[in-house]
Amino acid sequence: MSKVGEEITAHFPEINTHRIDEKRVEVNTDKGYLLSLLNFLKDGGYDHLGLISCVDRMEDGVLQLVYVLSRYAQDESVPGPDPTLVVKIPLSREEPTIVSSMGVFINAEPYERELYEMFGIDFTGHPRLDPLFLERDYDIPPLRKDFDTRRYVTEEFETIPPVED
Amino acid sequence: MDRRQLVKWLKEPLKMSNKYSLHVVYFCTGCGIIEIPPSITARWDAERFGVKPVATPRQANLFLITGYVSLKTLKPIIRTYEQMPEPKYTVALGSCPIDGGMYWDSYNTINHLDKYIPIDGYIAGCMPRPEAIFTGITHLWTLIDEGKADGYERYRERYQEYRSNQERLYGQLEWPPLYTGRDDDV
Repeated sequence: MSKVGEEITAHFPEINTHRIDEKRVEVNTDKGYLLSLLNFLKDGGYDHLGLISCVDRMEDGVLQLVYVLSRYAQDESVPGPDPTLVVKIPLSREEPTIVSSMGVFINAEPYERELYEMFGIDFTGHPRLDPLFLERDYDIPPLRKDFDTRRYVTEEFETIPPVED
Repeated sequence: MDRRQLVKWLKEPLKMSNKYSLHVVYFCTGCGIIEIPPSITARWDAERFGVKPVATPRQANLFLITGYVSLKTLKPIIRTYEQMPEPKYTVALGSCPIDGGMYWDSYNTINHLDKYIPIDGYIAGCMPRPEAIFTGITHLWTLIDEGKADGYERYRERYQEYRSNQERLYGQLEWPPLYTGRDDDV
């Protein structure tokens, strides 16, 4: 058990943590705890949000958000390198909404826009959920597992006629 | 200069000077751009062939598209191509612009670039070596000699079809048509 993991479980008894390996600690929680957990970690020295990503676990009916947090400054009270925190939050695939974490980490903005576009996750409180990368409208957000890319390519791009032979 | 080509120079000086001073604008999509710096610097030195990179499409007559083309990058490619002064030649580098390459089944990669702008030649490979680029350039010379590198003329003639293909991807495009079909198109 790592020191930061013990601190989290002491402060939030409902959240379970476990050490994946020497450099990573996994934190499993649900979306109600997101902001208080991020605030707690930021005050505790984990002041860098590395990225927000998403895994589509279609067989469980879950979109799993992954927040990766690390420290800029070394924690002097523990020997060795500080572990990176991997916060995992499951969302339902039918109605994926979660509160935006821009109030805690301002650099969450592009990540949340990307996830909105690629997975259809609605971040409440985000000021600018505009298209970031995509030019077209897709029925299903294109990085979800049930998006059939081959059929899409065959129906959309292959049907465009060649201009010359 | 090759003395045997003297007759050609006297006959068609414009075409010959065009051919030996290809000013290139590179469209750096995908991995192809990695092959460009060695080919334009001292190791292979593209200027031996009169190939020189320029800053803007307004000064260029060769357009080199180096890699896969996503929906987002096709728009600037069309705009860049339309801004180049004639005569202009287009060469696509690598297998992705030909048919999508290894990215063909992606939601965001258009597969056949020649449906949207005319291509005068392809340099196949994934990625082609700088030697292949120079082979492609010398082949382009032959095409220009024979008058076969006429992509810009085909674009003018069949602009309606190209434009309708472009609009099938994007819906309404935000810039006006380049050629309207009236007499004032020049």
